[in-house]
Amino acid sequence: MMRAVIRNLYLAALAIFLLTPMLVVVVFSFDANRFPTLPWGGFTLAWHREALGDALIVSAMWNSLIVSLGTAVLATILGFCAAYLDYRYRFFGKRSLMLVIAVPPAVPVTILGMAMLAALSRTPMFGTPLGVIVCHVAIAVSFAMALIRLRLGDLGDDLEQAAWNLGASQRNGLLHVVIPFCRPSLIAAFCLSAAVSLDEFMVAWFVGGVNETLSVRVFNLLLGQVNPKINAIGTLVLATSLVLVSIAQMSARVGGTRKDAA
Amino acid sequence: MTARLEKTQAITPAGGRTRAGNRAVLPLVLGLPVALWQLAFFVLPVIFLIVITFWKVRSFRLEPAFDLGNWEKVLTSTPFQRALVYTTEVAAIASLLCMLIAFPAAHAIALGLSETARRRWIAFLIIPVFSSYILKVYAWQVVLSPGGVVNVSLAALGLPQVDLLGGALSLNIGLLTLTLPVVTLILTFALMGVDRSLLEAARNLGASGGQVLMQVTLPAIRSGVGLAAVTAFLMSFGDYASPVFLTGSNPPTLSILIVDTVKSGSQWPRASVIGVSMLVILALAFVTVQFLTQRRAGGAR
Repeated sequence: MMRAVIRNLYLAALAIFLLTPMLVVVVFSFDANRFPTLPWGGFTLAWHREALGDALIVSAMWNSLIVSLGTAVLATILGFCAAYLDYRYRFFGKRSLMLVIAVPPAVPVTILGMAMLAALSRTPMFGTPLGVIVCHVAIAVSFAMALIRLRLGDLGDDLEQAAWNLGASQRNGLLHVVIPFCRPSLIAAFCLSAAVSLDEFMVAWFVGGVNETLSVRVFNLLLGQVNPKINAIGTLVLATSLVLVSIAQMSARVGGTRKDAA
Repeated sequence: MTARLEKTQAITPAGGRTRAGNRAVLPLVLGLPVALWQLAFFVLPVIFLIVITFWKVRSFRLEPAFDLGNWEKVLTSTPFQRALVYTTEVAAIASLLCMLIAFPAAHAIALGLSETARRRWIAFLIIPVFSSYILKVYAWQVVLSPGGVVNVSLAALGLPQVDLLGGALSLNIGLLTLTLPVVTLILTFALMGVDRSLLEAARNLGASGGQVLMQVTLPAIRSGVGLAAVTAFLMSFGDYASPVFLTGSNPPTLSILIVDTVKSGSQWPRASVIGVSMLVILALAFVTVQFLTQRRAGGAR
């Protein structure tokens, strides 16, 4: 009994520690005080309104939308290709390919940002949302591939082979059997890649130049003085991440194995 | 690229039978884009970074050269050496703290909770991994600041003010915000893989809780512990946001040195030297932990 109480208290403390920073941002975005502290200064939407009226923030929102969507689409497609390749084939260089897909999220973003900037600064992609997208895809494809590969593990050999037996080409088997089976994990990969891109600020800061994403705008505002607009943007960013990660989790959990569903 | 179907030697898809070369086309179509993408936007940039460390800067322009001077200048400079020692120290302490806090939580989640509660906890821990870290660092900054929530609350209780921001405490709070969710998840998954009957057997044979932990549980998840520790070290070692916003860049970490050097303009080769040195240290840390966890695994049998 005593052990269970201690265990729950410990877990509750951990939950509070992890929730505090997120709640602080959201709660104080509605506080009328300029500086986010106690006592509560009254409810207001002024900071949200002010943030939405700020031209730099609005353009950052558009940039984030473009960059996150672009990253999500490309990372999901490339992640599926890599996952299927790993699932179905054996070939020379497979380990190296899987390594260069898996490793990027483990490299500190300062180094990644510097390396990507050095490489992209000689191309017309530098300073454009496209430049940020290509770099974010190189990072996010790792998560997309992992999610889809997990799902492919549940496919089993027989279904695709049955399609081939019935005369389907490998391409048709892929299009009509494998991809429909993977749909939940494709949705999960899409949402998670979008969330990774939305939150990443270092590479986007290095490579994006004047085209700031929301996370870069937050970072640049932080380098200045305390600004209540940060809480307002933060609430939007956190809410979006929460929705994306929740959809990803629900999709990734769908179905279990094919045999269960059937 | 010559590709072979795995596990499906007997039945081949239509088309594969007629033209032998055809089977290699689909894997090529699938594999080439992602391979080229990672090559162009990850591998080549990192190689380029290594190459730049040997280049020269002349009148604010980068010039290809083979010059070891950058390495010599950076490695012998006091700011770099200080930052190297400081960053390693910070990352080591933060990782140790993270492991000590995460392990009991993971143990409780993996072995103490019901199936439903466990699934909820895992879902809960995934959210902070993928939600803005920079915003959370900012939140801690305002909570811990002199006029922030903590100090205002202390004042209301009639207690003296505390200087929370700008020291090891605030730095570790920031780093734990980054590392705890991931590390707890890794340890939870590792512990979920432990054979429960083994733990029960040990308990039935009269082992105390501590003995079960030290002699059964921990040895069984050795590689998971190694992975968790390396992850914590890697994340804290490379982090930029916490040292900047929670200690005011004082003293600077290696990541801060990199950003300052890059943003100040012309010293790209030197910034690259710092970056490549960091990669070498991280690779060494990874190999060491791999070596330790695997060798002990062999020795135990």
